[in-house]
Amino acid sequence: MTQQAMTSQRPMPEITPMTEPFWSAARRRELVVQRCDGCGTLRFPPEVACYACGSRRAAWTPVSGRATLYSWTAAPPPLLPYFADRAPWPVALVQLAEGPRMFTNLAGIAVEEYAIGMELQAGFEDIDGETTLVVFRRA
Amino acid sequence: MTDASMVRDRTAIAGIGTTEYVRNIGRSELETALDAIGLALDDAGLTAREVDGIFKIDTPGEESNSELEIARNLGVANLRAWGGAGYGGGAACAPVVLATMAVATGMASVAVAVRARNRGSGGRPWARTGARVPGLAAFEIPYGLVSPVQQLAILARRYMHEFGATSEDFARVSVVQRAHAGRNPRACFRDPITVDDVLNSRMIADPLHLLDCSLETDGACAVIVTSAERARDLRRPPVYISGIAQGMGPRHYMMNGLGYREDPFDMPPLYAARDVYAAAGMGPQDIDVALLYDVFSPMVLWQLEAYGFCRRGEAAGFVRDGRIAWPGGDLPVNTHGGSISEAYVHGFNHVLEGVRQLRGESTCQVEGADVALVAAAAVVPTSALILRR
Ligand SMILES: [Zn+2]
Repeated sequence: MTQQAMTSQRPMPEITPMTEPFWSAARRRELVVQRCDGCGTLRFPPEVACYACGSRRAAWTPVSGRATLYSWTAAPPPLLPYFADRAPWPVALVQLAEGPRMFTNLAGIAVEEYAIGMELQAGFEDIDGETTLVVFRRA
Repeated sequence: MTDASMVRDRTAIAGIGTTEYVRNIGRSELETALDAIGLALDDAGLTAREVDGIFKIDTPGEESNSELEIARNLGVANLRAWGGAGYGGGAACAPVVLATMAVATGMASVAVAVRARNRGSGGRPWARTGARVPGLAAFEIPYGLVSPVQQLAILARRYMHEFGATSEDFARVSVVQRAHAGRNPRACFRDPITVDDVLNSRMIADPLHLLDCSLETDGACAVIVTSAERARDLRRPPVYISGIAQGMGPRHYMMNGLGYREDPFDMPPLYAARDVYAAAGMGPQDIDVALLYDVFSPMVLWQLEAYGFCRRGEAAGFVRDGRIAWPGGDLPVNTHGGSISEAYVHGFNHVLEGVRQLRGESTCQVEGADVALVAAAAVVPTSALILRR
C-alpha cells in the first residue's frame, strides 16, 4: 500500500463555522482565541462549550501574540510529501502569554537555536489566496 | 469506579491465542482474527459455537473486521453481546474490559476479545491525509504535525525539560525490553542492543530514535473471557480478572491535546490507576509484573509514575536502577519484549503476556508471580487490567 499522501501540496485547514473566525483573524494579522462569556476562560482550540463552566457563549478575543516556546520536535521523512521535501521538519508547541497553547512553526529561527522558554511573537504567513497560518518569530 | 463485588475475580481468562508476528503476514485481518480466536478457543477447550460475545478495538481507518463478520465466520449460533472500544492503543485492554462486563452481568457466557492488525504491511494511517484537514487536526497538520511519533516527541522533550530525563533514560527501556525479547521465540527482534545502539539509531522525531519506537507488525491476538466458575472446569488454569478500568481524565483531545492542557503530564493512566487498584482491592505494592504500553519508550516511564511504582518525575531513576529488568528487578516490565521488540499489536499482546506470567509460562518467568498489571496507552483515553492467578 502507498505511503504517499494524495497530494504534494501543503495540507490546509478545512474552514468551518466554528473555526472561521480564527482563520479570518489570521488573514487580517490578528491572533484570536475564544473567551468564555460565562467565566472568562480563554480557550484554544475552539469548542462548542466551556470546559470550565459549561457556557455555550464565547467571543473571539484578540490576544497579545506574545508567547514562549513550550516544546518542539524536528522529524525527517517519512512525513507527508510537502514536509518531507523540506525535512527535517520542525514543529513547535508555544504557550501564549495569556495561557492557551498552540502548535505552530517558528519562522526565521534555525532548529539548533530552539530553546524551551525562548520568547516569541506571533506572525502571519499567507499560504495561498485563502489561508494564512499563524507562525511565531523571535520576540 | 466498578462495584468490586460485581467484578473482582468473578471472571477469568480461560484461553489465549496468537498468530505469528511478522512484517507481512500475507492474509487478511479477518483471517488472522479467526486464526487467533481459534487458537484461544482450543487453548481453553471451548468451541466456536459456544462463543456468544465478541469485543474488539475500533480505530477509524484501521482493522475492518466487524463483529458480525467474525461471528459469521466462526459459526457462532447467537451473538448476545458485542462492542468495540475506541482510541487506538488506549483500548489495548478495553476489549477485555468490555468482555468482563458482559460476562459479569450475564449478557455473555463465553466472550472473545480480539485485536487483528496488519500494520506492518498496511501502511501508515496518517499518510492518507487529504488536501483539507477537518476538525482539531486543522490546527496541527498544516503545521506539519502529522504522525504519532512527532506528537509523542513533543511531550517527551517537555518531560526531559521538566524532570531532567535524558535520551539515555528512554533508551534504557528499549535495551531492557530487547533483552527480554531475546528469550522469546515469538519476538520479531531478539538481538541484544545497547544504549549507544539506541542513541546511534536513526532519528525519527527528535528526541526519539528508531529503537525508541515500536515495530510495525502484522498479527492478531485473542483471549477468551468466561465466568470464574466455568473457567475452573476448563483445560487451563484460570487467570482471574481482579480489576478493570478505563480512564480519560478531564478535557481530553487525544495525544496532541495533552499539549493544550495546563499540565500535559496529568495523563489518563493516573485516573485509570486509581480505579483499577480500587476495583481489585490492591495497590502498586501487590504487582509482581507489569505489562505497560510502549509504542514509544518514554511512555513506559509515564506509566511507571501513573501506576504508582515511583513518584512523578522519578521513573528515569527507577529504570536506571535496573528495577524493570528480568531477572533481578523488583518490577519486571514487558517480559515478552513489548511493542518495541516482540510485536506491535496495539498492546493487546501485553494481555497475553500477563496471562503467560500467571500460568508460569513466560520465557522471562517472574518467580512466584501472582498478580500482573496490564496497561494501555498513556496519552490517549486508556484502559487497564489487574490479573491474578
Ligand atoms: Zn466558562
